[in-house]
Amino acid sequence: MADPALDLVGLEKRYGDIAAVAGVDLCVAEGEFVTLLGPSGCGKTTMLGLIAGFFAPSRGDVRVRGKSVLGVPPFRRDIGVVFQDYALFPHMSAAQNVAFGLKMRRLPDAEIVRRVGEALDLVKLSGLGERRPNELSGGQRQRVALARAMVIRPAILLLDEPLSNLDLKLREEMRVEIAELQRRLAITTMFVTHDQGEALVMSDRVAVMNGGRIEQIGRPADIYERPASCFVAQFIGRINLFLGRVKAGNGGLRVHAGAIAPALPAPPELGDGAAVHIALHPERASLSHEVPLAGWFAARGRIDRVLYLGATREIRLILDNGERAIAEMPNTGDSVDFAPGDSVWFSAPPEACRVFRKQSTDVR
Amino acid sequence: MKKHGEPTSRAWAALCVVVAAIYLFMLGPILITAAVSFNQSNRSLFPPQGFSLRWWTRALSPEWLDPLWFSLQLGATASILSVGLALPLAFALVRHRFRGRNALLALTLGPLLLPALVTGVGLLQLFQYAGFREAIGLPALIAGHVLICMPFAVRTISVSLQGLPPNLEHAAASLGASAWRIQLHVVAPLIKNGIVAGALFAFIHSFTDVNLSLFLARPGETPINVKILGFLEFGFAPTLAAVSVVTIAIPLVLVIMVQRLTGLGDFLYAERGHG
Repeated sequence: MADPALDLVGLEKRYGDIAAVAGVDLCVAEGEFVTLLGPSGCGKTTMLGLIAGFFAPSRGDVRVRGKSVLGVPPFRRDIGVVFQDYALFPHMSAAQNVAFGLKMRRLPDAEIVRRVGEALDLVKLSGLGERRPNELSGGQRQRVALARAMVIRPAILLLDEPLSNLDLKLREEMRVEIAELQRRLAITTMFVTHDQGEALVMSDRVAVMNGGRIEQIGRPADIYERPASCFVAQFIGRINLFLGRVKAGNGGLRVHAGAIAPALPAPPELGDGAAVHIALHPERASLSHEVPLAGWFAARGRIDRVLYLGATREIRLILDNGERAIAEMPNTGDSVDFAPGDSVWFSAPPEACRVFRKQSTDVR
Repeated sequence: MKKHGEPTSRAWAALCVVVAAIYLFMLGPILITAAVSFNQSNRSLFPPQGFSLRWWTRALSPEWLDPLWFSLQLGATASILSVGLALPLAFALVRHRFRGRNALLALTLGPLLLPALVTGVGLLQLFQYAGFREAIGLPALIAGHVLICMPFAVRTISVSLQGLPPNLEHAAASLGASAWRIQLHVVAPLIKNGIVAGALFAFIHSFTDVNLSLFLARPGETPINVKILGFLEFGFAPTLAAVSVVTIAIPLVLVIMVQRLTGLGDFLYAERGHG
């Protein structure tokens, strides 16, 4: 099998006692789009710096196409970077910015002109090449930064939260555009973000980072549907979390969540008495006036508020045991017979519920 | 009805009067000096009596042009040397955190806080007792002026270095630029205005200095301002007025020229937005 485009082996970066990156192993295939997703301070930007070679790891190795690049200065690594603040050269025009990397490679002028033109076309900026960065809008600067990093045809493209300075509408446009461009050019790409929406839409695989480690890596749907931990579940989208406990009964271990019944099968690694969290996405929950199906995860509660969001309705409940819950219902055009104050059943099929061991670091 | 917060015509008039008064106060002495230089009388009368250029012919004789030329050379040398020393200093102070950094910073900017008079006395004694008596004159003046002018260059260059967007050099490196080419193609063009401003301030500070030069000059190697001070002993002749106008005009013309060429205004008043 061919060497992976990028291979991180036991990568670690310490500042004194603090580990910004605390042992990361990650393999990225040629042409793959991998997103590092995590809250600020989880070490994702530090990882990009280690890959680009802006600073050296405390331990571990970075391999590009099978060869270690430790000790190779950044300007010989052949890795394109798009920075959060774009870092365009303010004293150069857009075209000169894009040409910079080609000039550094001492390509013939004619080829530089041709490739800069192509790159600007690609990011839909043809005709704006003569503008200075301060004469461009935020979205246009973003495209210049993208063109500048891609025009050198790097072995790996690193994107450090490139969309976070754009307004919402532009951000949603750009994430589709960047993902399309990446697939068309088949550039191996590592994308850093704290926005789970971006991660889900753009990536082949998502690596959720927490405290300098990868907590889970997988395809977007895997991460969303089957989060491996409470942290991942909370980070990847809005989620209901209920406290529960494993109890031995007839038929093995079951999870009981306070007054919420009936029980769920417990994961095999958890023993009798273990405290757990049950995670449930709001869109998988149902509300009904009738008793739900047997075997479903179900609880009675009172509707606190109904929020009309256009495409969906968000219904907030206070369960009989005092815990709060959220159900999200698609807007089908039919009227809804749920109003604040109603007493209803909150339920979900057991396969929609994930059970995690409760950890001391968990938010709830 | 007038909107709240909009100046009334009376407040506006008052503001105009105050601003005019401030300008008059600042520019008045210069205008009076200029007017006096055209006196026909032997005395420095204001308003001038009659009109004559004879004081100007005297002011433009070698007696005054030689010290003026000396001052210009001294200023240019001090300015170039200041920038040459300030560049590595500013890089070290802005980019690196090292032991003794604060001490170095204090030593660099210290001469700004000391009265130049004290620095002058100190340097004079140093040259006298350390056996460099021969250096008094041009070499001592150059050393002294670099000492008091360099802080300005360190300040302006530091400010322009700090104003660089943080990831610019990383971006250049990732695009294939070696450390040397990053400095040449990215850093140098962006701190150019800081360097020019530093050189200009250093020159002007050197050109207008009296306090320090007073102690380190010697006959034949005398800056224009020391010469003017010496001449004042014999009273304020209209010649002096003419000479003063020249010494005011030179820095003024320089600042205007440099501002036209580099857009120094952006540097002096507010950093232009980057990125």
